[in-house]
Amino acid sequence: MTKTAKVTEFRSVADMTIGESAVISSVGDDCLDIHCHCLRLMELGFTPGQEVSVVAKSPFKDPLAVSVRGTIIALRKTEAECIKISTDGIRN
Amino acid sequence: MALEIKDPAVNNTPLKKSINETKLPVIALIGMPNSGKTTLFNALTGSNFKTSNYPGATVEYSIGSLVNRFGFSSYVMDSPGIISLNPSSPDEDVTISGLFNHPKFGLPDVVIVSCDCTQLSRQLFLVKQVIDTGFKTIVALTMNDLLDKKDMFVSEEKLGKILNAPVIKINSKKKEGINELIRKAEEMYLDESIVDYKSTIRKPGHPAEEDVAKLYDYTEQTEREVLESKNNIDINEVNRKAFRSLSRTPDLNSMKLDKVFLHPIWGIFIFVISMGIIFTSIFWIAQPAMDIIDTAFSSLSQLVADSLPAGAWYSDLITNGLINGFGSVMIFVPQIVILFILLGLLEDTGYLARAAMLIDKPLSKFGLNGRSFIPMLSGYACAIPAMMAARTISNRRERYLTIMIIPLMSCSARLPVYALLLAMVVPPDKPWIAGIGLGALYLFSIIASAVTAGIISKFKKTDEKSTFMLELPPYRTPVFRHVFKNTYYKALVYVKQAGPIIIVISLLLWALTYFPNVNPEIPESKTKGLTEEQISKVIESERLNTSFAATIGKNVFEPVLKPLGWDWRVGVSLISAFAAREIFVSAMAITFNITESEDDEDNFQTSILASMREARSPDGTRPLFTTASTISLIIYFMFAMQCLSTVAVARKETGSWKIPAIQIVFYTIMAYVLAFITYNGLNLLGIQ
Repeated sequence: MTKTAKVTEFRSVADMTIGESAVISSVGDDCLDIHCHCLRLMELGFTPGQEVSVVAKSPFKDPLAVSVRGTIIALRKTEAECIKISTDGIRN
Repeated sequence: MALEIKDPAVNNTPLKKSINETKLPVIALIGMPNSGKTTLFNALTGSNFKTSNYPGATVEYSIGSLVNRFGFSSYVMDSPGIISLNPSSPDEDVTISGLFNHPKFGLPDVVIVSCDCTQLSRQLFLVKQVIDTGFKTIVALTMNDLLDKKDMFVSEEKLGKILNAPVIKINSKKKEGINELIRKAEEMYLDESIVDYKSTIRKPGHPAEEDVAKLYDYTEQTEREVLESKNNIDINEVNRKAFRSLSRTPDLNSMKLDKVFLHPIWGIFIFVISMGIIFTSIFWIAQPAMDIIDTAFSSLSQLVADSLPAGAWYSDLITNGLINGFGSVMIFVPQIVILFILLGLLEDTGYLARAAMLIDKPLSKFGLNGRSFIPMLSGYACAIPAMMAARTISNRRERYLTIMIIPLMSCSARLPVYALLLAMVVPPDKPWIAGIGLGALYLFSIIASAVTAGIISKFKKTDEKSTFMLELPPYRTPVFRHVFKNTYYKALVYVKQAGPIIIVISLLLWALTYFPNVNPEIPESKTKGLTEEQISKVIESERLNTSFAATIGKNVFEPVLKPLGWDWRVGVSLISAFAAREIFVSAMAITFNITESEDDEDNFQTSILASMREARSPDGTRPLFTTASTISLIIYFMFAMQCLSTVAVARKETGSWKIPAIQIVFYTIMAYVLAFITYNGLNLLGIQ
């Protein structure tokens, strides 16, 4: 299921490819934008430790459709960048 | 805050009265978007409800009474779906404040929270927040059939115990569990053991990120405890075997369908086809219905005119003022109905969210949102339904921006005007040039609206950041009855709220063009040898050319319009055309004294073109309608806010006169300046 991807320190949901799964490591850390919607992202279900996967992308590559907690939420790339991921923690 | 504005711009006075008299209990429905809340509301009220705005805001709530069959008299209130009790936009703030301190109903007696059990860990977030506020809360579990397909179910007893609130499984479409839900609500309402609980209910404060994380820990823990497998296997075992975290996997059929609907090629193809269907429907399919309404009102007007004394001012007030004014309200109903049926079906199937996602990127460049696309597209048919469709844009700033630029879309009412004016400038033996010209006008209107949106969003600073964050709900079969009902209410609210403004302004325009020379004297030499119909046209023309509108045209407009190459007669036609753009053509015919009947299209067009060609400029030295002055008139029509119905709907949809006022001033100045540049630029280039 999961495609292996290069794990770098600053990868976010915006960098994920279609079909890729990952675990959220943090939301909104080192976010410089004061109007950032990080709290709303967390309220939507994007909390650290949650597994997410990118199920589709718009033909313009932005927004992305991200599966989380049993639903699919479309996010713009700028919003997806706030959600940092790590690929090592996937539970099986 | 919006709620403090004391402007009850709402239409449910009878309901309000009866509430004050009988003090019926109020059940409020709360739930995340797509959690089955509205379907439940329809099942509870039998689709018999009223939709109103929160005072001073454009956020809607619906109120209806419980169906008699349930044997419990209560009001049910439905407001937009929310993610959390912590608002992140002004509109959410209005909705959430309305739950705690509703301007009409105060605090609800019982709260029903709808909870989609296929995404339990996410939906319990709001459920827990609501229970923690202290409301008498019932949890309605929805989408149990979908969870069943995954061979899982929720234990109501366990969940109820953990949450310390009753949990009831429902299926609104099959009416399962609804009766039980009502019984529970009645029981809780009558429960006197909890005394004075209402005074302790507080709207929760702004949570920190840790609070959100903690609450989610709780919901995950709860999910693990209450989710059970049908075959009595450990749920974690099921998850492991079937699919990674099956309980947190979205609807599998929807994911398969999305492979097509969001495909880079097929997705665009389906998008273009569906948007094409919407556009053709409101552009052409609405036409026969609009023609019927048009014919009905002119026959009615004729019928009434025959029974009233001819030539009396009040006869004309009733026929040309009142009946025509009401006709111009009703003429938009077919387009509104068709657009909202299609929009409702797209929304209910789940495709609308996908369509918005597909087109979001290019629109976001101009400060707009994927959801702006359908309103903008509809604007090419008519700005009235288009502005109403902008309701689907959840971000207030983006909604207002969309409403702001919709009048720039080249609507169908401009076509007759363009057709006439293009016929003026294009050589008769090369009609294809007019076709190219028309295409160029459409293209130009797209560019103009994009540039305008870009400029406004760049210079208008705001706290409300442009976001998307849209849930893509599972694909579902729409409930047609609800779509039709909802469309009916949309059309009704339009007629009730925008109608009066349209009628008042049309009466004003009628008075301007009718008075003071009500019965003009025509020298007999002028009417010699004319038929009765032609004579009445001559009288009409004389009356208009000596009316208040003409006086304003001559004294105020002529000096202003001269630099554009026009005279007062164009000005009078522009005043008349404020009722509707296409009236420009018939107003021109009246001011230029055309006696041909409009029914004979070819003759009418030929004679109005002939009169326009003969018309001289104010000083009489050169023709009035040169190539330059005609093109400048086309440019003017592209930009000017020449439509009182649009003004009325912009007022209704934004809840204030601010945006329509800006549109009138800004677009008229823009139209004038661009027409001026066109006219003088063409003259400089040697084109007269």
